[in-house]
Amino acid sequence: MQDAFSKRVYRLLLLTASLPVLIFPLYWMTVTAFTPRDALFRPPYEVIPTRFSLENLNELLSATQFLGFMQNSLIVASGAVLLSVSASTLAGYGISRFKFRYKRHFMAGALWSYMFPPILLAIPLYLIFSKLELRNTYFGLILAHVSLSLPLTISIMQQYFSIVPISLEEAAWVSGASRFRALLEICLPSALPGMLSAGIFAFALSWNDFAFAFILQTDVRMYTLPVGLATFVEQSAIHWGLIMASSALISIPSFALVIFFQRYLTGGVKRR
Amino acid sequence: MVAVEYESRIAKWTWLSAAIGPALILLVVVAYIPIIFAIGLGFYYRSAFDDAITWAGFDNFYWLLRQPGLWAALGKSTIFTIGSVSLQIAIGLFFGLLLNEVVRGRAVLRSLVILPYLLPTIVVGLVFRWILNPQTGIVNQILLDIGVISAPINFFGGLDSAMPAVIFATGWQYSSFAALLILARLQTVNPRLYESARTCGAGTWRCFVDVTLPNLRSTLLLIALLRGVWMFNKFDLIWIITAGGPLEATETLPIYVYKIAFQEFDFGRAAAACTVMFAILCAFSIVYFKIFNPTKEIEVGR
Repeated sequence: MQDAFSKRVYRLLLLTASLPVLIFPLYWMTVTAFTPRDALFRPPYEVIPTRFSLENLNELLSATQFLGFMQNSLIVASGAVLLSVSASTLAGYGISRFKFRYKRHFMAGALWSYMFPPILLAIPLYLIFSKLELRNTYFGLILAHVSLSLPLTISIMQQYFSIVPISLEEAAWVSGASRFRALLEICLPSALPGMLSAGIFAFALSWNDFAFAFILQTDVRMYTLPVGLATFVEQSAIHWGLIMASSALISIPSFALVIFFQRYLTGGVKRR
Repeated sequence: MVAVEYESRIAKWTWLSAAIGPALILLVVVAYIPIIFAIGLGFYYRSAFDDAITWAGFDNFYWLLRQPGLWAALGKSTIFTIGSVSLQIAIGLFFGLLLNEVVRGRAVLRSLVILPYLLPTIVVGLVFRWILNPQTGIVNQILLDIGVISAPINFFGGLDSAMPAVIFATGWQYSSFAALLILARLQTVNPRLYESARTCGAGTWRCFVDVTLPNLRSTLLLIALLRGVWMFNKFDLIWIITAGGPLEATETLPIYVYKIAFQEFDFGRAAAACTVMFAILCAFSIVYFKIFNPTKEIEVGR
């Protein structure tokens, strides 16, 4: 008993020592985002603040290009999700339902491209897209982001389809349904949770991407949020209150993602 | 799979190409063609100012290998990769073991551990620049208040402190990857192993060394490889925080390559540098697999 108790105390001590390091940066981001201007320009700061204001958020949404960047981010992320999920759903179906010779090569090839250095992809994409006039377009960046997410979404969908039993489809074929109808009415609905997780990952990769957007989008009107935020730091008119407010806003999908990730890890999504 | 046999071969191939085709085309267009293009480009002169490309043979590579900058960047990359991966594994091990022990509140704790990994890199970069700011950063303020330091530290601006500070930021963001994989592995370790170790008189430390670590071997090796590759390729976080500075204190290979391409506007040389980077990665991965073979599991009396 004594031993178990001291172990618990020990664990509690470890936790209280380590958690602040984990949480503090995010805590301070949130605090800064809500700190009124006058307090912001007069350090030292109160570590546990007493005054809050929405000044920074108001200014961010009215006086900066934040909303424009956000619109770009949303358009690109939606495109990347659409393209990545539809291509990988089809591919997952193909891989799990057909035998073919180069199946293993295809899957290994998809996974291998996951190891490519992004900078190694970005330079040729910059040149190719310049030639095709795809730079500073939504479609170009969508394609670049698909290169990030596709290897992952293909493997998610392939795993998912291999869980969906083929016997359901066979039953449909026996009762006269074409392969197309069986795919549409039986296979796809049961693969929906897999598509959801693939879509969420594709969204996160596109939403979070800095490197490709930074290299490919050179026109300020086409900047996505991460690139736009990076330029905020260089603008003297924009202070840290605004930067932290925008950082907090752009992190919101990540918080939602954590909740989803929890379910994914505990098997709630995978084994349904 | 039997039912597939009933369809004609033509129908099967139509279906198969319709299913695999889009993904295959996308992969080739957005990943494989650019890679081949980049490797090929290393053998040409190609500046950003005109479209003309002329055959250069190995000139770009000769030029590159004579640059002290390349070797300096390779050194920085090595320090950064080893430092960051070790830190990630250390923190990951810490939280993995802790999460494995904690029963109440595990879900909440796990969420907190995952969160940094899922944040946009730009957020991590900017938040660290803000809290470690030499003038107005809260960390310096707290350290000054407690009296640990007498003058503010310029974490990202100091020649000696920039690299450790950047490594710390990557450790903060990416340790959750290691923590989750380690936790998943720990939960499959047979508790009987610990019981029998205990009955043989092993303490906590011996249990860790003789039971936990051997069971974690393949997981740790895999984490080290994957994180090593990704950290070696890391561009965004370093660029956002220091852009390779101060001077060249944090100029790793990806930053070096970026500067050749987009500040010196020499795409041929940049592509050659990329190719060198890629070759180092491939060679490293192959040697790593040969030596450690992370897929091999050490069986402990199971």
